[in-house]
Amino acid sequence: MTLLLLLAAAGGTVVVLTRSPRRQVFAMAANGLILALLFETLQAPDVALAEIVVGAVALPLMFLVILASARMDRAPRRPDAGR
Amino acid sequence: MNALPWAVSAGLLAIGLYGMVTSRHFVHLIGCLSVVQASTYVLLLAAGFRWNAIAPIFYSFAPGTPAVDPVVQALVLTDIVVGATVTALLLALVLELHKRRGTLDPDQLRPLNRDRKG
Amino acid sequence: MNARARLLMFLFAWAALGPAVVVLILHLPRFGAHALPYGDLINDSAPRERHVTNAVSAVNFDYRGIDTLGEEFMLLCAVTGVVVLLRSKRGERVDAPAGRVEARSLRPRSDAVSGVTRVLAPVTALFGLTVALHGMTTPGGGFQGGVIVASAILMVFLGEGYRSWRKSAPSIAFDAAEGAGAVLYALCGFASLLAGLPFLTNFLPLGTLRDVFSGGLMLIENAGVTLAVAGGFTVLFGEFLEETRVETRDDES
Repeated sequence: MTLLLLLAAAGGTVVVLTRSPRRQVFAMAANGLILALLFETLQAPDVALAEIVVGAVALPLMFLVILASARMDRAPRRPDAGR
Repeated sequence: MNALPWAVSAGLLAIGLYGMVTSRHFVHLIGCLSVVQASTYVLLLAAGFRWNAIAPIFYSFAPGTPAVDPVVQALVLTDIVVGATVTALLLALVLELHKRRGTLDPDQLRPLNRDRKG
Repeated sequence: MNARARLLMFLFAWAALGPAVVVLILHLPRFGAHALPYGDLINDSAPRERHVTNAVSAVNFDYRGIDTLGEEFMLLCAVTGVVVLLRSKRGERVDAPAGRVEARSLRPRSDAVSGVTRVLAPVTALFGLTVALHGMTTPGGGFQGGVIVASAILMVFLGEGYRSWRKSAPSIAFDAAEGAGAVLYALCGFASLLAGLPFLTNFLPLGTLRDVFSGGLMLIENAGVTLAVAGGFTVLFGEFLEETRVETRDDES
């Protein structure tokens, strides 16, 4: 329990100190898993299940898609040109 | 150990706010916001904990066994899922900001009425 | 204000509040060794009065059901906000080609990914429905099950490509599912009003303890939450992934 609490604090610190957004996404996913383990140790299985599915699937996906679409070349094209 | 969860929660809040204040990329800022949210989850769940108690699911145990607090778990559970949706709304705002201003750096964006002409 | 002023203000605020936080931490009750009167009351009465073994679901859908109604409408508002922001400029066409990022090569999807997702996506969807259905007896419920179902639908994108995914998970169906879930939850409350009881009273027969179909009105509320969360997350994923396609300007608009 002590170990997991300290790991959660370390995980949060790593998420903040990772300045590059693409690397921060993976730090967030790892932080989500550590938090899920901590919640399970705190006798909260419902909350651990929710944290796993949200923190490891939904949030990293949304972050990565936003980063990809921000890097995209956005010159609008005609519908049938450039295929 | 008696005060470690409260200290971890305060520490996560402090470091998350520090990340939000000194961030140079809006998506990194939203990631630090998730750390601040995590600090509140740790605080709530630690407030409802009881040593040598079971989870508040009485399927394999008889009702009446000492269990932890289910109210804070209900709060945190809905908070996690709805918080992900609100984070999605923030990310959509960031994307629209990037489309209009071309940058994602908070220091390079000034308020609207400061130095835009017209 | 510039970055240095922000940082100074932050440090000043923590220097002012820091001692108070430390004093508070030292005076809070001991971790794990203080009384939990509200929790004990609910743990005692949920299996006896409501015939459910998952006390967290009983709190979510019965004792504090109106808070969950508020949360569900918060989810609806957030998803509506994302849709309004991203669709108003882009329109509703779903057949645009993929966008290009400079200096990134496009690798074709491997057969292993397609094969594995073909097996895993239905299994994951079934697992999500199981978690959602068994919310009254074991850990789980509508919130977790809905997100698992949405991620199972997303696996189709991983395995079959964007166009197949948008065709097989049409946006209009999931928009409707999300709204229907929220309305179903609200209708449960109004049904109690029609029966002459206060809003969201559990008036259906409660079933037996440790049975899957126990809990009465909680089952319908659980189904509403599952629909709303699954539909909401699928719409969110669809909107975000559509942003990675090239913008095409229609000739008429």
